[in-house]
Amino acid sequence: MNCLINLKINGESYQLNVKPNLLLLDLLRYDIGLTGTKRGCDTGECGACTVLLEGRPINSCLMLAVEANEKNILTIEGMAKDGKLHPLQEAFIEKGAVQCGFCTPGMLLSAKALLDANSNPQEEEIKKAIAGNLCRCTGYTKIIKAIISAAEKIKRREQC
Amino acid sequence: MLNYFVVGKPIPRVDAIEKVTGKAIYIDDLMFPNLLYGKVLRSKFAHAKILHLDTSKAEKFPGVKAVVTGKEFATNFDNPLVGSPLADQPFLAVEKVRYIGEPIAVVAAINQEIAEDALDLIRVEYEQLPAVLNVEDALKNDRPLVHESFNNFRCSPGFKPVENSNICCYIEITNGNIEQGFREADFIFEDIFTTHSTQHVPMECHVAIAQFNPDDSITIWAPDQSPYGGQNLISAALKIPESRVRIITPPYIGGGFGGKLNLSGLMPIVAIAWKTNYRPVKIVLTREEEFVSTTIRHSSIIKLKSGVKKDGTIISRYAKLMFDTGAYADIGPIVLGKAATGSLGPYKIPHIKVEGYCVYTNKAIAGAYRGFGIPQVCWAYESQMDIIADKLGINSIDIRLKNIVEEGYITPTEKQEAHAVGLGKCLIKVRENMSQKGEGKIIENRKRGKGVACGYKTAKTPSGANAFVKLNSDAGADIFVSSVEMGQGVNTIFAQIVAEELSIPFNNIRVLPADTNITPFFPASNASRVTFYLGNAVKKAAQDIKEQLFKIAKDILQADKEDLALEQGLFFVKKEPKRKVKIMEIMKKTYPGGISILGRGTYYQYKLGSFPSHVKVEIPTTEVWMYASQGVEVEVDTETGRVKILKVVAVHDVGKAINPITCEGQIEGGVLMALSNAMFEELLFNEKGKILNSSLLDYKIPSALDMPEIKAILVEEAHREGPYGAKGLGEMVAVPTAPAIANAICDAVGIRIKDLPITPDKLLRALKNKCGDCGV
Amino acid sequence: MLRKIKDFEYFKPSTLSEAISLLAQHRGRAKILAGGTDLLIQMKQKNLTPEYLIDIKNISELDYIKHDEEESLKIGALVTHSSIVNSTIIQEKFDLLMEASLAVGSVQTRNKGTVVGNICNASPSADTPPVLIALDSRLKLISTIGERIVKIKDFFISPFKNILLENELVAEIQIPNLPVHNGGSYLWLPKITAVDETLVGVGVLIAVDDLIHKTCIMARIGLGSVAPTPIRAKMTEEFLKGKRVEDVIFRQAAEIAANEVSPRSRAEYRREMVKVLVKRALGKALGKIK
Repeated sequence: MNCLINLKINGESYQLNVKPNLLLLDLLRYDIGLTGTKRGCDTGECGACTVLLEGRPINSCLMLAVEANEKNILTIEGMAKDGKLHPLQEAFIEKGAVQCGFCTPGMLLSAKALLDANSNPQEEEIKKAIAGNLCRCTGYTKIIKAIISAAEKIKRREQC
Repeated sequence: MLNYFVVGKPIPRVDAIEKVTGKAIYIDDLMFPNLLYGKVLRSKFAHAKILHLDTSKAEKFPGVKAVVTGKEFATNFDNPLVGSPLADQPFLAVEKVRYIGEPIAVVAAINQEIAEDALDLIRVEYEQLPAVLNVEDALKNDRPLVHESFNNFRCSPGFKPVENSNICCYIEITNGNIEQGFREADFIFEDIFTTHSTQHVPMECHVAIAQFNPDDSITIWAPDQSPYGGQNLISAALKIPESRVRIITPPYIGGGFGGKLNLSGLMPIVAIAWKTNYRPVKIVLTREEEFVSTTIRHSSIIKLKSGVKKDGTIISRYAKLMFDTGAYADIGPIVLGKAATGSLGPYKIPHIKVEGYCVYTNKAIAGAYRGFGIPQVCWAYESQMDIIADKLGINSIDIRLKNIVEEGYITPTEKQEAHAVGLGKCLIKVRENMSQKGEGKIIENRKRGKGVACGYKTAKTPSGANAFVKLNSDAGADIFVSSVEMGQGVNTIFAQIVAEELSIPFNNIRVLPADTNITPFFPASNASRVTFYLGNAVKKAAQDIKEQLFKIAKDILQADKEDLALEQGLFFVKKEPKRKVKIMEIMKKTYPGGISILGRGTYYQYKLGSFPSHVKVEIPTTEVWMYASQGVEVEVDTETGRVKILKVVAVHDVGKAINPITCEGQIEGGVLMALSNAMFEELLFNEKGKILNSSLLDYKIPSALDMPEIKAILVEEAHREGPYGAKGLGEMVAVPTAPAIANAICDAVGIRIKDLPITPDKLLRALKNKCGDCGV
Repeated sequence: MLRKIKDFEYFKPSTLSEAISLLAQHRGRAKILAGGTDLLIQMKQKNLTPEYLIDIKNISELDYIKHDEEESLKIGALVTHSSIVNSTIIQEKFDLLMEASLAVGSVQTRNKGTVVGNICNASPSADTPPVLIALDSRLKLISTIGERIVKIKDFFISPFKNILLENELVAEIQIPNLPVHNGGSYLWLPKITAVDETLVGVGVLIAVDDLIHKTCIMARIGLGSVAPTPIRAKMTEEFLKGKRVEDVIFRQAAEIAANEVSPRSRAEYRREMVKVLVKRALGKALGKIK
């Protein structure tokens, strides 16, 4: 039996009639068409499907769409606001933190959750925050540099 | 030193903006009207006859639109076999299965769930056959044969398997007099090294969409490193013209590392697309299928015997390589060839002999994997180099510096003149950037050590490379090439090359995704060859446009071509810079009705007759060598056997870094991948040939918490033919890491590990055996 | 083989009594969904194919960490690992539980996965059970018939099997107050990488008479991933009692602990690691005694 759910994705309200076994990941990718959220392993190990649920990173491959009823979801498509990139997105571009790009959406969302909670993270805290997002290309070095740089950007902008 | 205004600059990647916003398109993001979903039925046995295959229930299952079996497809296309240099692999197994995971049948349905459910309705009756599961067994006399006969295989010249055996390919290379070389040596070193199988684990699993068309042509959308390779294989197997096989790659590929070559693992989609009545069908491999059915790295046994003088000069070396290539050849014989030519190290050795065996077993197919056979042989020769240095009491960097090849040296295996050898510089930079003794705090039960390794690899020849560049009327440009952007940054450096040559803004240049109907020939984005070969072609195509522009500009400015210069999008008379015209103006003035200016570039480096005659199998070699040295610092916990990698200094000779950031990124990522290959990853096969760790729950790749400090350093020993001097990089980053780690561990605790991977269990056992219960 | 999840019917009750009556109604064919980080993998792998899922996340009466000096610590079924990690009372008084929750997977898993779920999954390698054993925890099991309290060490039967009846759910973890001079710690090694299943997990809690004599008056040791279920190292605990806590004793204790385990795969290495980790965990616990 299908379930009627109401949820907000990137600030937009949706009312959807879904099968209970539909994964949030598939809802986002196929029902809504937000393909920025990627499927990497289907077992919650790689983090390519990371989205923010009420501001906190979760793996959307291990969450049913029905569980998201009455919740706020942020996907990579909602990270830039009013056509303006988030400082993390800018920093990922500037510091060369992107290679094949498949892990990038999930990585950015985990990093965003970190910076939202901790404006001045140490390198070890960054590593812990993104440890659920696997990247096979970059060796993480430039990703960490980018997150540090974004934290500084945000601080500078807040001071202005 | 020439001054470039875009080349050599750390410019942010052209594709980054799409990737950070989630707009970058990968194949699984594509949706087609009327799309069907395919699921593949796979073999449960490593070696078995298919006695009976019943698909009737699956065909009747509601929502199923087509089912195809190996026999049906084979009958229709006259036993098509895929492969190059050896065509030995059916699209779907026909009479026999040869590894667990081999495709047997495919179902296409209106959605994935139905396709999955229908798979369960297919009945297969097998007769199990004895299987061979390792190289040593496969070479024994009474072994089962993976392939009973090689008669119906199409073989490229020189690649004939050895009849009535499991030897897929044998290679022998000799030079000098090996026996004399051993007689003249003061010391002989003989060791056996082994390496293990690993998976590429690109973050994006293999996926494809295929559609047969009413004119009997087929179109395949796939994240493939070699669209022209895939086209060639399908056309040759199905005996249809290449023009009827169209391979389209997406804008972006989620990592390749050699695993997404020649549509490997994706051929079943051709068979099912043939049955869907022209409806497109999509197959997305699950991560489990990715592990069992796409190519893996060759495991190997390497015997290495070296004759060395007292002063550390290596004068003779014999290598015997045994590579496990799995159930089908794929690209295995070429991997073996590359490994064989590279097996003696970047050293001047007068007396040599190499024997290489590429061996069939009933296991997952081994193919291209970042480094293409070189990481295996480097593991052997660089581990042994430290054994030699240790025995002779010579510093490990000094002994390498003493033996490395130099400019103009005729290499013993390829018989070619070494050129642009930056290896000495790499070794010295490693020495300079390693921590000094005594740095870092000393903790009880934690022993620290340092290790070094170096290596070389050639980029593949021949590599025909074509490029078109289209200059648009607003002085933007589009680049038409058949390379693919899979993370390595090729689109960025090609844009830089065109920007440099035409002095137009970098941001207005785009690289189109490869499409065999549109973009010109290039063999594959592999073998670290894209920058060198295709980079040259792109440069030439841009220069072709420049020539055309110069001709127009000289008319407009009424000057001789020699008196004109082009800078920052502006043609001007050198002596009178005020007489000038912008590129955009040239376009508008000359062609008010609008026009594109087309540039063509071809680069083909292939010297006929340059085959080394002493190589029994023809292995076209190359003039492009990449060199590198890496230094590793470790801390070994002697109670747990766990090794913490503190720092990796990776120095790579890239010829010319067209974009230093992307070069660094390749190095940092490649080092972590190689570290993980050496210490974390190993495909585990059970006694029935089944892969036991076929998910990311059990097969682990490193997270940010597992990374060491990685210091990437670039050396630029310009190559005379390279674009701006550039060579290649992508594979070399993964070559010297494993032996450098082992050498560092040996320095720390005196244990020499010769079998990869280096696990805590292994190291702790060795520590206990060495010290009894003394607790180190 | 990992495949799509089979169809099921979904319930999202908002009270505990509603949840247990649904369980009773669909006895044996329903599963409780809390974090789902284990359950959904099991369902994808077809190890579990429940016809009904009862999502308890709307039951706010199950989401709490309560502490008072009399009743001690109570943790509701919906408390996630992230909530444990961020709880001040746990950081201050039960930090070994925080250490265990931090050992669970990645941030994504900790944000969704619950401690009770970690227990109910009954994986031999779960991180929280060794610590909860060391803390002498009890579980409150509830069904329409009534409730019962069981010691956590008695909860596990075999790998992925627990004593829960088909109509029962675990509503709460209860942890008694700790003796005055206590120290506890959780140490673990991953199978391979930093974010990985646990190879060996050791939770210890020791208490001493006073800070001068440092005679061990209480010791509890829980071991994970070295037997079919999480186990308590009773002989090791007995050995420690009455002795002055110091390195040489810890080393002897570690040898005893290594004989209390029965690892299957990588047995030799795991046994060695029990020795190393028990010794180190006791040392770390000693360092925390105030």
